[in-house]
Amino acid sequence: MSASNPYIPIPVQISKIINEVDTNDIKTFRFTFLNKEDEKKFKYLPGQFAELSIYGKGESPIGIASSPTNSGYVEFTVQRAGTIVPGLVTSALHDLDEGAQIGLRGPLGNSWPIEYLTKKNIVVVGGGFAFTTLRSLINYMLHKDNRARFGEITVIYGARTPGLLLYKDELAAWEKRKDIKSIITVDKGDESWRGREGFVPAVCKDVAPSPKNAVAVICGPPIMIKFTLPVFFELSFSQENILTSLEMRMKCGIGKCGRCNVGSKYVCTDGPIFSLADLDGLPRDF
Amino acid sequence: MADFKKIEENLKKEAKRLLEAGEVTVVLAYSKGFDEKHPMPYAAKSVADIKNIVFNEYCNHNMARYLVRYPQGTKIAVAVKAADSRAVIQLIQEEKVKRENLVLLGIPVYGMKNSKTGEVIDSKTTSGLCNPVLYDILLGAEVHGQKIVSPYEVLAEYEAMDKDARWEFWKNQLDKCIRCYACRKACPMCYCDPCFIDQSKPRWADKAPQSPGNMMYHLTRFHHLAGRCIDCGECSRACPVDIPLYLFHKKVAKECEEMFGQAAGMKLEDKPVLVDFRVEDSDKILE
Amino acid sequence: MLKKTAINKISELAAVLMEKGTLIAPVKEVSGHNFAQILDPQKVDLDFYNTIMSPKSAFFPHKEDFINYKVGKPISEAEPVVLNLKPMFLFGVRPCDVKSFQIMDIHFNAAGIIDPYWRQRREATTIFGYAFDLSKSVDSADFYNTLGIYAADPDGSDIFMVKKDNELLLKGITLQGKKLLSELTTIENGKAADKKYFEEYIKKGRDYKTRFMCLDQETITKKLEDIFHNTDFWTRVSSACLSCGVCTFVCPTCYCFDICDDTQFGRGTRRRVWDACMFTDFTLEASGHNPRTQVYQRLRQKINHKYSYHVRKYGVISCVGCGRCTRYCPVSIDIYSIIEEAIKT
Repeated sequence: MSASNPYIPIPVQISKIINEVDTNDIKTFRFTFLNKEDEKKFKYLPGQFAELSIYGKGESPIGIASSPTNSGYVEFTVQRAGTIVPGLVTSALHDLDEGAQIGLRGPLGNSWPIEYLTKKNIVVVGGGFAFTTLRSLINYMLHKDNRARFGEITVIYGARTPGLLLYKDELAAWEKRKDIKSIITVDKGDESWRGREGFVPAVCKDVAPSPKNAVAVICGPPIMIKFTLPVFFELSFSQENILTSLEMRMKCGIGKCGRCNVGSKYVCTDGPIFSLADLDGLPRDF
Repeated sequence: MADFKKIEENLKKEAKRLLEAGEVTVVLAYSKGFDEKHPMPYAAKSVADIKNIVFNEYCNHNMARYLVRYPQGTKIAVAVKAADSRAVIQLIQEEKVKRENLVLLGIPVYGMKNSKTGEVIDSKTTSGLCNPVLYDILLGAEVHGQKIVSPYEVLAEYEAMDKDARWEFWKNQLDKCIRCYACRKACPMCYCDPCFIDQSKPRWADKAPQSPGNMMYHLTRFHHLAGRCIDCGECSRACPVDIPLYLFHKKVAKECEEMFGQAAGMKLEDKPVLVDFRVEDSDKILE
Repeated sequence: MLKKTAINKISELAAVLMEKGTLIAPVKEVSGHNFAQILDPQKVDLDFYNTIMSPKSAFFPHKEDFINYKVGKPISEAEPVVLNLKPMFLFGVRPCDVKSFQIMDIHFNAAGIIDPYWRQRREATTIFGYAFDLSKSVDSADFYNTLGIYAADPDGSDIFMVKKDNELLLKGITLQGKKLLSELTTIENGKAADKKYFEEYIKKGRDYKTRFMCLDQETITKKLEDIFHNTDFWTRVSSACLSCGVCTFVCPTCYCFDICDDTQFGRGTRRRVWDACMFTDFTLEASGHNPRTQVYQRLRQKINHKYSYHVRKYGVISCVGCGRCTRYCPVSIDIYSIIEEAIKT
């Protein structure tokens, strides 16, 4: 964010593009800052987002997929959006090559509540494309400087097919580590898939993480959330200890444009991260 | 003056009968607003609602505008003045509503007033007809003997302007536009979803209330209503900054009528004029 | 300090203010009065009830350019728009509208991230409030009394003006206003009788009655929370609503905006433009999901935002009862009646 003006983006350059899935519509963009000063100011925590800004197209709010422990760059995993509302920014971004410059405004929003999560057992549940800020959180917790601050880490991540799993190299690396329990599942495997098959809610039920001193962090498509929440209620997780990240149409990202409110809360500044207890006090208007 | 009290009584009577008999599930009429001069469009859904129905000289709103809001197949009774009945006919022609689902409560009336200005609404801003073109039940005596003025007479001054003057006129008028879209929302024929101006790919015009976008919005809308505008004048009355939109609509309607010999929403059996190809159609448009 | 000028010499005062900076005042347009930047001092016209558009555009213009750029050129070459404001004089603002600035200040100029455009414009401006003409009848749409605002409230104005027959009395209220007034040497000082008249006028303003209901902030906030899911209620009160943007655009406290890129011939501007929660696509997400597809949901959002969410977030109702939304609604939807009915529900 520009020093004096929160609406003016800072310049960043695409230093790396990773094609994440076999349908080619989800890519991870790694950006480096053109100005050292901007980089210093861009201090974020897992769960925050930023506005990716392409002049002539507009802006799109995207969760930060890298961890703040990755210094020198920031990553966003972006889906080429829009069957009904064409995603002008995400389409344009997908058409760019490494070396191209775009604008960035952020970091914006609240983060996964790191202090609250400290010393707790963390159950991370993700589905499909909505794994980006969870990946940020996992990598943050796994970092050698941070790992000791957290209890057991369990990750349950699912996608429709093996080809649609994000961050495949990292998933493989996590499976080898002893300090994280990683359960990867797909709705339907292919010939080469040797992992689990099954929907995320069913896998959660099967894994049955203990609610003792634990927090569940859940992101995924609405249908997954809908069926996963009852599983965690049954496991006796309290509403305070189930966290999720909300999506609303946003524009300014700084609580001014009045678009993303749910009741008296703005998703862009009071969220996007809410506990179910927070959401319970809000009108069902999202 | 028409007998507004009598019309109101009949409106209540028929609404009650239709709802009681279950012939319709909703009656689109008018209710009291925050003062006498500001009645509101009203949807009566039960007999208990009937008492709220009013009719007076400020009940201008074209209730046909609300028809497409209800799911296809809903049985609706709708209070229609002359122009409103034309909107219903046009909507039937365009297959947005079905005749058999509608009960038209015809209101023959003149001397309606603009609640903002107090002026009598006549052929200047509307088609100037007094009697509904189509109805099932008439709520008052047909109006006869009123001076018949062509709805196009008001165009004389506009037509006297040359091309440059007209451009200047519309540029000035449309510069006032604040892009609240009240005109399209009040219009019974503006039912596109999404409206072209709301599309983002392609984006037809800038969202800011300035000349190019305003022009794009209004000129496109004017042309989109060519041969379809039934001249109720609601767009102009809805406009908070009083842009005389009716002038453009009337001009296009007049050209259409001259070229194709058909005015919008006058006969159920007509086809929308720009949809219907006839060999004998005028080629004037190509000249 | 109290000064005065003949109303038919208002253009002379206008000319002085124009020399000092930018003057924004009511002018007569075809359809009524509106605030506009004055280029010809003769155009200032104080013979109005209230303007069609609220004066919020002085601080929050319908469109505000953020940055100019060339498409395809490096982002570093884009040029942020610098405001370079001269001192601004906002002349002839009715007390209810003056109050709206204080409400908007919380959102743009105090809470969370500060909006630089609002702040710069606000700080450059001296507000000349102008009491309603107590000799004329009140418009039936107005209800500012309900929000605790009176027809001749000087609160929030830097200089407050009242009409005395053919004269305009001006009194400095804030330090900034008093200082400016002392610099206006071309207009004469008020006499003791004028001072008395001014003070009495302020008092009499309390007897000038708009629509009124006893409205407790906490009660209405809670009520609206309670009836959020009462779809019957919201469907009924919104059944006439056309879902156009008139109410929000004329409103002095509606602040929702969109950020748009406008490009032509390779040059582009990113700007904010007023938006309205009444528009169908306001909350339409790229995924196609829209939490507010129905008219009743959008009207409910608007009313809740003003009378409930805003209270929870900022501690104050975001409405000043100026009556514009009711007055200019094409189908006469009346927020006052809806609130009244909500309380009874």
